[in-house]
Amino acid sequence: MSLKINNLYKSFQDHTIFNDFSIEIPENTISCILGPSGCGKTTLLNMMSNMIVPDSGIFEGFNEKIISYIFQEPRLLPWKTVRENIAFILDKNTIEEPEKVIDKYLQLVELEDFANYYPAKLSGGMKQRVAIARAFAYPSNIILMDEPLKTLDFKLKQNLMKSFRSIWQFDKRTVVFVTHDVDEALLFGNDIFVFSKAPVQIIEKFNIITSSSDRLLESTEMVDLKKKILKIMH
Amino acid sequence: MRFSITKNRIITIISIIFLLLCWKIISVFYHSEFILPSPESTFLAIIKLLTTKNFIFIVGATISRGIIGFIFSFILGVLLGIFAGINTSFHSFLKPILVVIRSTPVISLILLALIWFKVDMVPVFIAFLTMFPFICTNVIDGIRNVDRDLIEMSRIYKIGQTRIVKEVYLPAITPFIFSGASSAMGIGWRAIIIGEVLSQPQFGIGTLMQTAQTYLLVNEVIAWTFIAVVISYIFEIAIRKIEHIVVIWK
Repeated sequence: MSLKINNLYKSFQDHTIFNDFSIEIPENTISCILGPSGCGKTTLLNMMSNMIVPDSGIFEGFNEKIISYIFQEPRLLPWKTVRENIAFILDKNTIEEPEKVIDKYLQLVELEDFANYYPAKLSGGMKQRVAIARAFAYPSNIILMDEPLKTLDFKLKQNLMKSFRSIWQFDKRTVVFVTHDVDEALLFGNDIFVFSKAPVQIIEKFNIITSSSDRLLESTEMVDLKKKILKIMH
Repeated sequence: MRFSITKNRIITIISIIFLLLCWKIISVFYHSEFILPSPESTFLAIIKLLTTKNFIFIVGATISRGIIGFIFSFILGVLLGIFAGINTSFHSFLKPILVVIRSTPVISLILLALIWFKVDMVPVFIAFLTMFPFICTNVIDGIRNVDRDLIEMSRIYKIGQTRIVKEVYLPAITPFIFSGASSAMGIGWRAIIIGEVLSQPQFGIGTLMQTAQTYLLVNEVIAWTFIAVVISYIFEIAIRKIEHIVVIWK
């Protein structure tokens, strides 16, 4: 089973971003999209989530799919507590016992003690963890992530990846993770797609078999892969 | 921190004492109750006013005019402001109207209102027209300052338009509503009293000020002014207190 996008065209004014672009994203795994800034990675996510309309293109397997999104910024409502922020996106008519769902995911990101805090009282990393909990609490099939670690320092990044991975182990949804950081892609992805500058083409696709919790950036496998990726990116 | 708070308070007190001292010196210099009465005689005039049997009705009348005018301009300002903030065509329609109302001299409004309305309505009408543009403009600014990212997030998570207005737009503009209300009130009281001076309703601070002025009771004019300042100040504090209770997330 996979999600397919075929013959995608999209341009903004005179700037062509996608020109007959196709990609196949396997389901229930983590796919990383690696590419230079401004190449159209975010645009691709926004078309998957229907926020931007493509000029033309065929999307297969996206119908009926529910999508959650983890943004670069946490995008929490400042006037709602952590708990209320997650409750905000849960449809009370379709979800039984939303409170239990909220508790479960807050526990998984280790924020159960902060449920009644307003975002202003949390650190940047904690806010982003709330955003992760929100994305998983939402009954989605696909999680789109747009460089969610970009603004965080190295240690926080590690922590956040750990939180994300520990939730994902229980709950293997299709994840599309966009980044320009090779290390993040190496630690995270089952598949890594390397994108070119706009108009976007897939330069190469890598597949990592080692389970993501066993990966070490220092291992020869990873070092070699990193060299390869850096070479084709430049 | 604690030190600087007490320090600032002392400076405020010094400033008030300085003002009173200047007043006293000038009144001694002119030595005439008809030009500038001394602070003491004004203070006595305030006490006298406070104990007049109609005091409650007079002040009550002015305050209720202010509140009625405020409520009307608040409701209309918030509703039209939200609509204009979301809908650009309506904003283009509303903008010239707001500019005209805001730049028309208060006195022109009063003179026209005196022709159009019954005496008691004039100050309310003036209060409404001076306060409405402040609240409306602030709400429009508030809506335009709402974080687009939060709206996009809500759309991705399939939140309906009604809930977006209620749970995203409204809380986001609350601080703007309060600052609009606060400046509206500040300017509103002045407009109401001018309206009362000129329209002479049966009760009202402006009515009594005008009478005092006619009889050259300068200390009474200043005493009423002082009372008007206190009323305005109380409302200012009240708005800030309410804001503090409502906006708890900061």
